[in-house]
Amino acid sequence: MSRPDQHKHGLVPGLVKGMATTARTMTSHAHTQEYPDVKPELPPRSRGVIALLAENCTSCMLCARECPDWCIYIDSHKETIPAGPEGGRDRQQNVLDRFAIDFSLCMYCGICIEVCPFDALFWSPEFEYAETDIRDMLHEKDRLGEWMATVPPPPATDPGAQ
Amino acid sequence: MARRELTVGVGAGDLATADMVLNIGPQHPATHGVLRLRVTLDGERIMAADPIVGYMHRGAEKLFEVRDYRQILVLANRHDWLSAFSNEIGLALAVERMLGMDVPERATWARTLLTELNRVLNHLMFLGSYPLELGAITPIFYAFREREELQAVMEEISGGRMHYMFNRVGGLREDIPAGWLVRVTAAIDAVRRRMPDLESLLVGNEIVHARTRGVGVLTPEVIHAYGVSGPIARASGVDVDLRRDQPYLAYAELFAPGGAGRVVTRTEGDCLARLEVLLEQVQVSLDLAQACVERLSAMPGGPINVKLPKVVKVPEGDDYVATENPLGLNGYYLVSRGEKTPWRLKLRSASFNNVAVLAEVLPGTLLADMVAILGSMFFVVGDIDK
Repeated sequence: MSRPDQHKHGLVPGLVKGMATTARTMTSHAHTQEYPDVKPELPPRSRGVIALLAENCTSCMLCARECPDWCIYIDSHKETIPAGPEGGRDRQQNVLDRFAIDFSLCMYCGICIEVCPFDALFWSPEFEYAETDIRDMLHEKDRLGEWMATVPPPPATDPGAQ
Repeated sequence: MARRELTVGVGAGDLATADMVLNIGPQHPATHGVLRLRVTLDGERIMAADPIVGYMHRGAEKLFEVRDYRQILVLANRHDWLSAFSNEIGLALAVERMLGMDVPERATWARTLLTELNRVLNHLMFLGSYPLELGAITPIFYAFREREELQAVMEEISGGRMHYMFNRVGGLREDIPAGWLVRVTAAIDAVRRRMPDLESLLVGNEIVHARTRGVGVLTPEVIHAYGVSGPIARASGVDVDLRRDQPYLAYAELFAPGGAGRVVTRTEGDCLARLEVLLEQVQVSLDLAQACVERLSAMPGGPINVKLPKVVKVPEGDDYVATENPLGLNGYYLVSRGEKTPWRLKLRSASFNNVAVLAEVLPGTLLADMVAILGSMFFVVGDIDK
């Protein structure tokens, strides 16, 4: 790209050129998306909100420990399942009391979802959960569970994937 | 407020002048955040300028020390929020090199592709915001239209639009979605087709010329003295580009003779030259991205990452990895004592040095040129303050 010294200087040529561009652009369709009237189409991997499938959670705390800013809160207690009529031993099982993610702290990195060994956490592309009070950004177990309905199936991968 | 006369100088009755200290920022819109400039003025002329940094200091380096290598990526991609993918790459490469880990070829080419798309995104941001600072509103709409096109493909593969979090030690987090490479080609073509609109608005614009030509000239000596790097250094004829000079990822092949890569330089060193380098680098990066797409499509199948042990511990030692980020050299000095967290992770960010040079280049210029020069340093405040 050479320095455009050869360009014509002066008010009139520049103005005419500018008006020509304006006229051309005026007739073409606008590029703007009309949100919120038209919802954006988001890809399945889009990191909008984290959904919880509580049945799969064993309260192992891996997600809470791996979270870089510790915004996951888990409370659980142990319950004893008595041995069946045919004998055996009593078994202990974790019962999830509380699972909450504070989205005002969350950095949307997805590490919790990646480390979960029991597939209890999923990304959903939903993003319309802004609040006027920051305390409402703390989503408890039932609210996280409601997001499950919005979780899309993962996209197919490239034929070269292994 | 009562009017106060300032009478300085020898003899009475002369036109009295006094230096005025003017604070630009930390909330000035032209500073992309919270950079503060203390400018000493004699009339309209700048006598001294002092960039005062630290308003956005988040202690990233200290936070790195209490996080494992996956968690560090979350923070490391945030210091320069316009080049998140390139930031991740530097750290991932440092850890992989210390581990002696071989990254699959497919991952390397996919990483190169995403790094170049990230570079285009970064440059488009500055190509839009720099004219905004000069008073032209239109270019940012064109720049953002192109950014949107590329962000759509970035979001499809990584799920993020700014903080991709797509690198992992040993490769990428997930594989390429089916048909994604085709959509990348379409996005590259669309951006390439429409770039002349933006180009003619910038380098074909008399007003931009009048504001930027011959303004804020940086000499190669100043560049070397202050450690300025990236497009700003290359606009002054300092021909340094780590992608060619110290190749990482797949750049050795791309910058080899006959490859798609080339280093863009100018010799003028003024604001216009910096803008031109940015514009031309967009074209080069689109070429590089296209070359990566072709390579990936022709490649036999293979893994995109390495299976990691549950706990990644980097062996004792230290290493320094520098990468050519969109804004300049970005380096990570990693010292490990064999733990799962680094003992020290020093971050060398491009913007810090690129802004430090303002103290050298601003004195002697007019206040009206200050914003033109400041904007042409293409910095991100998070990258200065860390």
